Amino acid sequence: MTKPKVAFFDFACCEGCQLQIANLEEAVIDLLGVVDLVSFREVMKEHSDDYDIAFIEGCIQRPMDAEALKKIRENASIIVAYGACAVDGSVHTLRNEFTKEDVLNEVYGDADVEGNPYWDIYDKAKPIDEVVKVDVYIPGCPIDRDEFARIVSDVLQGKAPKLPNYAICVECKKNENICLFELGEFCLGPITRAGCNSACPNVKSGCEGCRGFLDDPRTSAHKEVLEKYGVSVDEMMAAFSIFQYGKEGS
Amino acid sequence: MQVMSKSDWLSFVDRLIREDPSEIVGVKSKGPKFVFDELDSAEELRLDYDVTILPPKKYFLPVYEDMMKYDLTSAFSVDKMVDIPPRIVIGVHPYDLVAMEQMDKVYLGDTTDELYKARREKTLIIASDILNVSEDSFAGSMGTNVSGSGYDLLVTDLGDSVAVDVGSEKGGSLLSSYANAGAADDSVEARVAGLREGVASGYSKSVDVDKADWPGLLTNNHEHSVWEEKSDKCLECGSCTLVCPTCYCFDVNDTAALNLESGVRTRTWDGCMMRDFSLVGGGEVFREGIKERYQHRIYRKGMYIPERYGFTACVGCGRCVSACLPDIADPSDVMNKLVTSSMGVPKPLPIPEAAPAAEGLAMVPRPATIVRTETMTEKEKLFEIKLDDGMPLGHGPGQFVEISIFGVGEAPISVSSAPGGDTFEIVVRKVGDVTGKLHGMDAGDKIGIRGPLGTGFDAEALKGKNLLFIAGGLGVVPMRSLFNHVLRNRADYGEVTILYGCKDPSELLFGSEVKDWEGRDDLVHKFTVDACPEGEEWEHNVGVVGTLIPQVQFDPNDTTAIVVGPPIMYRFVIRDLKEAGIPDENIIVSLERRMECGIGKCGHCQINGVYVCKEGPVFNYADMKDLPEAF
Ligand SMILES: Cc1cc2nc3c(=O)[nH]c(=O)nc-3n(C[C@H](O)[C@H](O)[C@H](O)COP(=O)(O)OP(=O)(O)OC[C@H]3O[C@@H](n4cnc5c(N)ncnc54)[C@H](O)[C@@H]3O)c2cc1C
Ligand code: SF4
Ligand code: SF4
Ligand code: FES
Repeated sequence: MTKPKVAFFDFACCEGCQLQIANLEEAVIDLLGVVDLVSFREVMKEHSDDYDIAFIEGCIQRPMDAEALKKIRENASIIVAYGACAVDGSVHTLRNEFTKEDVLNEVYGDADVEGNPYWDIYDKAKPIDEVVKVDVYIPGCPIDRDEFARIVSDVLQGKAPKLPNYAICVECKKNENICLFELGEFCLGPITRAGCNSACPNVKSGCEGCRGFLDDPRTSAHKEVLEKYGVSVDEMMAAFSIFQYGKEGS
Repeated sequence: MQVMSKSDWLSFVDRLIREDPSEIVGVKSKGPKFVFDELDSAEELRLDYDVTILPPKKYFLPVYEDMMKYDLTSAFSVDKMVDIPPRIVIGVHPYDLVAMEQMDKVYLGDTTDELYKARREKTLIIASDILNVSEDSFAGSMGTNVSGSGYDLLVTDLGDSVAVDVGSEKGGSLLSSYANAGAADDSVEARVAGLREGVASGYSKSVDVDKADWPGLLTNNHEHSVWEEKSDKCLECGSCTLVCPTCYCFDVNDTAALNLESGVRTRTWDGCMMRDFSLVGGGEVFREGIKERYQHRIYRKGMYIPERYGFTACVGCGRCVSACLPDIADPSDVMNKLVTSSMGVPKPLPIPEAAPAAEGLAMVPRPATIVRTETMTEKEKLFEIKLDDGMPLGHGPGQFVEISIFGVGEAPISVSSAPGGDTFEIVVRKVGDVTGKLHGMDAGDKIGIRGPLGTGFDAEALKGKNLLFIAGGLGVVPMRSLFNHVLRNRADYGEVTILYGCKDPSELLFGSEVKDWEGRDDLVHKFTVDACPEGEEWEHNVGVVGTLIPQVQFDPNDTTAIVVGPPIMYRFVIRDLKEAGIPDENIIVSLERRMECGIGKCGHCQINGVYVCKEGPVFNYADMKDLPEAF
């Protein structure tokens, strides 16, 4: 079997997800045994445009990024969007409420950016699948390393990777955590897609929904629970707006 | 009964921790709650706990359990994971003992679950009387606040001393090896009895319906408003099933290591409150509505399990009450709401008879080799398979096998060949991971086989009868195992008619066999397609398979109809057959559901209280027609 050629790319993001991968340690070495890594900025200098599987991190802010992404789509037979920014825009979409002029003004003030393609941004930040077709999604901010390994092994074996379609609560119960609501905290776990092994609740921190909602979240039932536990509308909105800004149901 | 001083009890536990080779786990505090966890010293043990977050089931069916490891670099190499280290669990409450005894009946009965059995045999239970009642528990009114069995030792912490009841030989020898206990006199026994009475009267929560009456109450109140009121608020979070000591469904997954050289097949807790529990490859979710799922959980506890095993699958521990954020999971509250409405005469759930399970089944597949393949259509491929141990499969018509491809997973697939012979045939439609991988395989490749599984057609009982076979699409695959058996033993049966329909001419399966039928005068056959695309040749009927029924002659009172096809097909065909006057008990159907274990443990295939993998997939329509989830 010839090894599939794999390339990693990043757009607007913190590159934290790439670090998660680099931190897989032995598993990375295993991975390098079965794929041919042709491009990965975080760990190597070389670059090639001949690849089968492209891993994309970050979201699309500028037309020039969209063009680069379309090129990648032409080269790759499988596109994997990994990390919340690539999957659904994540925190970048917080700016979508403002005009691009206000955004540029706020960030760069009087600097002359007019006509410079590096500062030519879209009106709204776009997740990867608003620009090209995505074959595989790996959500999370940052991604969960074990889930990444599982999904990559599925892709390499020709399996269709599946994301859990049940709530974080499931993993929380499996980890025998005390429910954060019982500790007086607020949590988006009941409507958020599992797969991170309830990472935040494990350390007594409420889920902020970085993995996105379930396919069919029970939002109205969740709202009733929030009311029952006396979570104020402000708290609720603040929590929802981090990763769920502008999403249906929030 | 024996007794020891409190300090002797503590030294006993400490000696176990230090000297016994077993892992010693017991109840410890976790924040304001309690959990079973490994003990470092007797000091940590909290016999005064009310209830633990998770029940001790986690030691017998671990949250994640590796079922087998395999080597992907060789053709078929699997390592069963039965090397289980010994363990002693201290502090199990009576309601959890009752739940464990129930789980034993399910996991050790019929087909034994080997991993569960190994864990159970390697575990000693030191139970503890309840000292503090959980405010969510209603064990008092379920009669599960005390238990006279299910433990190796039962301890009662009396403050200054600890009374011990020996429940097994192993428990007795543990006591004599490590403890300084003496015979208890009447006064100790009286104090234990007094403590238990105090606990029994300490429950603030109770269920007002005797558990023997739960099935009757549930039978009569399927349409009660309580179901909608409660389930409307449900988060589908699954917590109620996960924390429950009497819920033990699981999901099975294959994961290959990133080097693609090895992998594990793992099972993990699953639950019927989650939508995808009944999802199958084509996207169909058999228990789609949240109300139906909510009902299933309660009906299973109060009716399906009681009718099947004779016990109520709720022990009143109250864990689901604590775990449910919208406060709707409490079975006692459901029962207390229903009791104000009418109580019906329980209408027993049909539990069709299951074929006796073959020996040595369980979860580890046997190696087998593909000896021949034949591409039938674009999507369907036939595989002839031989077990590597040289044994015939020994299946009956209508039974199925679980096909295992390590690293990918398992899929239930019907045996398509008639019984007998050293090899058997399956026909597989490519729809997903396992079926897709299988399609890439050829003669000489190795796969795993579990089975034969399930209850198929009763070929004996059909002898002498007039048979009307009706197959839709892929339904012809399992039907062929019976049909070819009948043709081979043609003299044993009456008139034989076969009606076979598929989407379009390109999907017709077993083309050459179908041609052979034309030369026979001892059977009537008719074909149909839903539609014939322009340019394709088709000399038979066009229309759904039901349109063939009026075209053939049969005596409705003296004909058995055998219907196999997708749900949409059998729903309509059954209606047409009833209209044609065939009595319900003369209609035989094969039903499809999500399957994982194939041996009646994982829970995925249930139609109400019936396990399709055990009592089915072939059923008599009359047995199943009243089950709300069947058709
Ligand atoms: C008793 C029985 C007999 C069957 N006989 C045949 C047959 O002869 N030929 C044939 O082509 N197909 C048959 N099927 C359907 C076949 O089992 C599914 O198409 C197959 O499981 C899909 O697996 P996959 O991994 O390719 O698909 P995926 O979509 O990747 O499946 C994921 C998982 O879902 C479950 N699953 C998905 N679809 C089904 C399903 N329809 N039924 C049960 N579990 C499912 C399996 O556990 C599987 O591991 C039968 C199903 C049952 C229940
Ligand atoms: S249904 Fe609830 S109360 Fe009954 S055994 Fe399960 S968790 Fe305990
Ligand atoms: S715990 Fe409550 S909300 Fe969660 S699935 Fe069960 S009934 Fe629904
Ligand atoms: S119970 Fe597991 S498939 Fe039937």
